[in-house]
Amino acid sequence: MPSPTSHWVASARAVFAKDWRCELRSRYALNAIGLFAVTTLVVTSAALGPSGSNQAMAINVLPAILWLILLFAAAAGLPRVFVHEEESRTANALRLAATPSALFAGKVAFGLSLLLAIEALVAPLYLAVMNLNLASPGLFVGALVAGGYGLATGSVLIAALASQARGRSTLFSVLAFPVLMPLLLLAIELTRNSVAGDPAGPALPQLLLYDGTVTIAGLMLFPAVWNP
Amino acid sequence: MVYSCGPPARAGQFAGPGSYTARAMTSVSLVFDGVRRRFGRVRALEPASGRVAAGEALVVTGANGAGKSTLLRCLAGLLAPDGGTVEHVEEGAALTPPERRARIGFVAPDLAFYDELSAGENLEFFARLRGLPAARAGELLERVGLPVDRAAGALSSGMRQRLRWAWALLARPRALLLDEPFQNLDREGEDSVRGLLGEHLESGGLAIVASPIPLEVAGAVSHLTLGR
Amino acid sequence: MTRTISLGLRGALWLWMSACIWGAFFYAWSDPAFIGQSSRILFFHVPMAWTSFVAYFAAAVWSAGYLWGGRQARHDRAAAAAVECGVLFGVLATITGSLWARIEWGAFWNWDPRQTSIVVVLLFYGAYLALRSAMADREVRARISSVYALIALVVTPFFYFIVPRITESLHPEPVINAERKLDVDPRMFYVLIGSSLAYMALFFWIHNLRSRAQALADAQEDELP
Repeated sequence: MPSPTSHWVASARAVFAKDWRCELRSRYALNAIGLFAVTTLVVTSAALGPSGSNQAMAINVLPAILWLILLFAAAAGLPRVFVHEEESRTANALRLAATPSALFAGKVAFGLSLLLAIEALVAPLYLAVMNLNLASPGLFVGALVAGGYGLATGSVLIAALASQARGRSTLFSVLAFPVLMPLLLLAIELTRNSVAGDPAGPALPQLLLYDGTVTIAGLMLFPAVWNP
Repeated sequence: MVYSCGPPARAGQFAGPGSYTARAMTSVSLVFDGVRRRFGRVRALEPASGRVAAGEALVVTGANGAGKSTLLRCLAGLLAPDGGTVEHVEEGAALTPPERRARIGFVAPDLAFYDELSAGENLEFFARLRGLPAARAGELLERVGLPVDRAAGALSSGMRQRLRWAWALLARPRALLLDEPFQNLDREGEDSVRGLLGEHLESGGLAIVASPIPLEVAGAVSHLTLGR
Repeated sequence: MTRTISLGLRGALWLWMSACIWGAFFYAWSDPAFIGQSSRILFFHVPMAWTSFVAYFAAAVWSAGYLWGGRQARHDRAAAAAVECGVLFGVLATITGSLWARIEWGAFWNWDPRQTSIVVVLLFYGAYLALRSAMADREVRARISSVYALIALVVTPFFYFIVPRITESLHPEPVINAERKLDVDPRMFYVLIGSSLAYMALFFWIHNLRSRAQALADAQEDELP
């Protein structure tokens, strides 16, 4: 009999591997998120031009637009992690077989890896087409990772809530935006500091605190979301 | 609901390779009393009571809409009843709802699997979630006569029903909840799963079988009719 | 007996509320630092804002009570009623606040930190009510909305750190701190505290009526054939 901890980790890994295997065969979320991100990137770039050379734009506007692109890309693909389980009627099989917190961890790992992959595609493109120069690239990457973590965890938790209700996709946006708003404001602030060359400031510990809070809340509350 | 204070009934030693179903020599009983559920304005299930002991089957019949599936979902822990008690005892210990979900074997028409994965991959995923050896998946598929590498999305409805059976027996449950367990099966398929059910009951397992039409089940059988 | 007590309590609330209204206009001092008599709106506006936050907090407590206190429907009804009251008081506080902002700052809306916070929080609880209306089954609705109310409880404090930072950078003009002025005059302080107690009592009364009405509606639904 494996120990409870190693069983928990193995279950979370099984969920993560299953989701990636299904995703690589259907490409649904990757296509949805990737195309959404690239389309909005093209639109904003066409509308604003290589405006990164304008210092005021580079600091006040462009970081916010990057995070809005990432937010909407996440909203286009991440709700599916739970909505699809309900719609394809696989949720009950999962309910009977999985430990809820391990399932949540596996789903978060999948959502996070998906979002980081999209960030790795979108962020360099964005910097290039906007002609945006980074004063501190390390802080920029830190903002993408810490912000991406909160964005993925928060979205997966809200997706679990929305999947239990009618009008899942629309409801997801209504529910998720207030929850994700502090995260976005902090991530935008950090990104702005990385462009302007300012120190990270209080936004970094606050962003990490947000990530930790959402993780703990998710692990504690998810069992009540998932099971009667 | 009755909870025990002692340690939960843990999976003991696996039975020999010849046994596909319940472990012998372990006691199990399922007693439900006054279980009822409504969906908004509709009374889906009028108070229902019953008692099944080891080696016994309870056949639940009733017209369409009498609440058979609702009763089974309440017993499985997939649905919270509005009232009544469910007591599932294994090895002298009453199971909590999460333990009940983990310990029962469930077959139902609305249970589906991942279309992108093959039958074998589906079962291996669920085996991993439950901490079981992956070889168990192959054994069961062979027993119900399903090709391992056929995509679940490409299975006929009868083959899907066989896959549900194989899935339900993965963890060698001692309590089987079977909702229309023989639907869509051909003669050979029905013989094969009836054989599995017979072995399950002989080795001291219990089963609750729901069907809209009267159903013959070999062995010690009691009956419950739902609805007026 | 309980009817008499209830009648007495309602009468007392009516008298107390009337006294506060009288006090706001005739007993308290009108702060000359504000334009005209506009400082008097604080006796209504500030208690409403405070009451809405008390209501949200109460909703989170009842939601936690639902999830970890035996899943009793009455806790969920109480949480939902508290959010409804919180949104009601929050909207009233926003309206009275922007009326005052029009007089004092020249515009109905300035994205002052407090205005920003109350709107963000209203969005949160508006989403809570939208979520409730999207679920038909009582058990599922109670479970899922309790979780959302608790998420709101842990996420909204972040705005407390963030909002002052971003709105200050957008609006450097100084904003008069109403609360600091209140310490100056004890009469204003007494009326403000008295009025806050009156509004909170009003909240609990409305909340009690709303929860009981919902309990009756649920019971009536259960009686249907």
